Amino acid sequence: MKDAYTTKGKSTLVLCHFFLPFSLEFVWCTLNFKHGHTMGPPDSVAIPPAKFSMPVDSEHKATEFRLFSIAKPHMRAFHLSWISFFSCFVSSFAAPPLIPIIRDDLNLTATDIGNAGIASVSGAVFARVAMGTACDLFGPRLASASLILLTAPAVYFTSIASSPISFLLVRFFTGFSLATFVSTQFWMSSMFSANVVGTANGLSGGWGNLGGGATQLIMPLVFAVIRDVGAVKFTAWRIAFIIPALFQTMTAFAVILFGQDLPDGNFQKLHKDGDKPKDDFSKVFYHGVSNYRGWILALTYGYCFGVELTVDNIIAEYFYDRFDLKLHTAGIIAATFGLANLFSRPFGGLLSDVVAKRFGMRGRLWTLWTVQTIGGILCVILGRVESLGSSIAVMVAFSIFCQAACGLTFGVVPFVSRRSLGVISGMTGGGGNVGAVVTQLIFFKGSKYSKETGITLMGIMIICCTLSICLIHFPQWGGMFSGPTSNKDFSEEDYYLSEWSSHEKDRGFHHGSLKFADNSRSGRGKRSVASTTPAACTSPIHPSLASDSL
Amino acid sequence: MAGRRIMLELVSLLVICISQTSHGFTLFSSLNRTLAVDSSATAGQVLKAGEDTITVTWAYKGTDDSSYKTVEIHLCYAPISQKDRGWRRTADNLEKDKTCPLLVVASPYSPSSRNGSFVWLVEEDVPPATYFIRAYALDAGSHRLGYGQTTDDEKATNLFEVVAVTGRHASLAIASACFSAFSVVSFAGLLAAEKIGGKTM
Repeated sequence: MKDAYTTKGKSTLVLCHFFLPFSLEFVWCTLNFKHGHTMGPPDSVAIPPAKFSMPVDSEHKATEFRLFSIAKPHMRAFHLSWISFFSCFVSSFAAPPLIPIIRDDLNLTATDIGNAGIASVSGAVFARVAMGTACDLFGPRLASASLILLTAPAVYFTSIASSPISFLLVRFFTGFSLATFVSTQFWMSSMFSANVVGTANGLSGGWGNLGGGATQLIMPLVFAVIRDVGAVKFTAWRIAFIIPALFQTMTAFAVILFGQDLPDGNFQKLHKDGDKPKDDFSKVFYHGVSNYRGWILALTYGYCFGVELTVDNIIAEYFYDRFDLKLHTAGIIAATFGLANLFSRPFGGLLSDVVAKRFGMRGRLWTLWTVQTIGGILCVILGRVESLGSSIAVMVAFSIFCQAACGLTFGVVPFVSRRSLGVISGMTGGGGNVGAVVTQLIFFKGSKYSKETGITLMGIMIICCTLSICLIHFPQWGGMFSGPTSNKDFSEEDYYLSEWSSHEKDRGFHHGSLKFADNSRSGRGKRSVASTTPAACTSPIHPSLASDSL
Repeated sequence: MAGRRIMLELVSLLVICISQTSHGFTLFSSLNRTLAVDSSATAGQVLKAGEDTITVTWAYKGTDDSSYKTVEIHLCYAPISQKDRGWRRTADNLEKDKTCPLLVVASPYSPSSRNGSFVWLVEEDVPPATYFIRAYALDAGSHRLGYGQTTDDEKATNLFEVVAVTGRHASLAIASACFSAFSVVSFAGLLAAEKIGGKTM
């Protein structure tokens, strides 16, 4: 019996594990567990032989990843997805580098600016819930192009914002576009086979996230060019917003014209394999939310990824005001924070894997705690340093540790639950956004704290919240300060199969978890690996995934 | 290339920092109010940026003006426009003070007449806010020696408003509306095309 549930679950495992610069919400859970169908036509349907320029598997998903190719349909889909996601990030964070100009034009107070920043990251929470379902129903091409086209007006209307309220509204609606992360990951999972889907997902998500950094460079430059051409600065910033809006619209058209949902064509209603187990959404949801580890990771992700979103919103204004820099200089410095995503996030994921080879899950937890706490310490220092040079140096170091911690978090997430992987991922990701909202509400709204004090306090909050990682304990592997449960020989199977009732086990629903438990024995570290099957020696991204998908 | 640019900017910033620290900082509280400053803007008057003018007059009313070389006229924020706006805060250390964002004019001080005046067209990019006028007297080394302002010490009287050009133009609004409509119509067209395609599948 082809267990496509396992295939899809493992694909999700791979993509979670690599790195997720943005969150997977309950929508991902919906994708995986509510609709138990494969990402392609079943083998029994006769498909005319298609010619692909890359090697493909039986579902016609590419088994190779060629970065510099735009071959139809796989690599073309990759480039379309990361560029369109990049454009959404550029639009969502286009305002922060120009705040020093906008705040004078619209007579904004620090409270108004803070509220708009909070609105910009809370918009996506609503959008992502809808986006996953839309991908499932209509396909990623249509879903993402629609969202991009529908949010482009918000970016155009930023040009004619005239008051604090209108400014807040345009930032709120523009932020919805960040839900394209979901369609990006969905599309990559449809196009790439399990052995390369992690790379595809990680790169498309990470390079999209770069937009948050690139926009800090682009917008001040565009503003300067328009102002030098002759516009007054209060007009120049308005015209400048047309650029990201146009770019966003063009990527939507590119996706529509050049993209396709699946290797064999555009989206069709998928056939359901009659004997495929279709999981119960309420059970999956329950097992996710009742697992305390998911809540702890949600909290800690709020203090690495949430902090990253917060810093994206405040850092340009911080450098501009504190050091009296020119607008585009502040933008360049602020950009380095977001641009570090190019390597620091994947580095975190890799580090998690490397440490796990020797020390298993305990190593992953310790590394996550260490890296995120160092990030917190650097954040405290960032608020305290007085000179420009040391501020930049500390900020760069802080960005590397903060983003690596995001990558490290998703080295732990795949192991928290097998049945409810999507829910746990969604909780963690959602926690990231909630962290951004809460942090901006407490420290960066109004004039209660100066920005430098806010940054220091944020660092202290990072250190405190990260301590909760000490509470995570896996009975089969242990936690930071505890070994595995010794009173009984608690194995990986016991942990993952505890999510299934005996009735469900009788019907064979748990086979995916069984395979995963076997694969996850690397969580014991090197000492115990010799006694287990050789296939489990490496990280969860390993050959049996590829063989399962065939 | 970007790295080199950052380095150049940092070096020039360092040079500026060094040159500034070499002449130390002045505390506002150490200055005497030696200038009587008056402006044509009356209390509560609303001026349009880019259109209206202000005539500023100043006269020396102290005892020793031998070191005075330059008079700088500044446009300064009133407390109401500084509220909840940390980037406009008042600091006693004049190097860190952000009360006065705009230098209107720096004119030489004439020891013979001991007064002066200037007619200033309120520039287009002056932010909309409530203001007063302040004048600083500087010596040859650009150290501030004295000041005067159109308002009282609490900065509560004789304040005027500037209403700025918002920068919004009808053409921009029309362009935004057209592009947005195009986006929405494209979306509708996309849905229609997909529905038609879907039916034939």
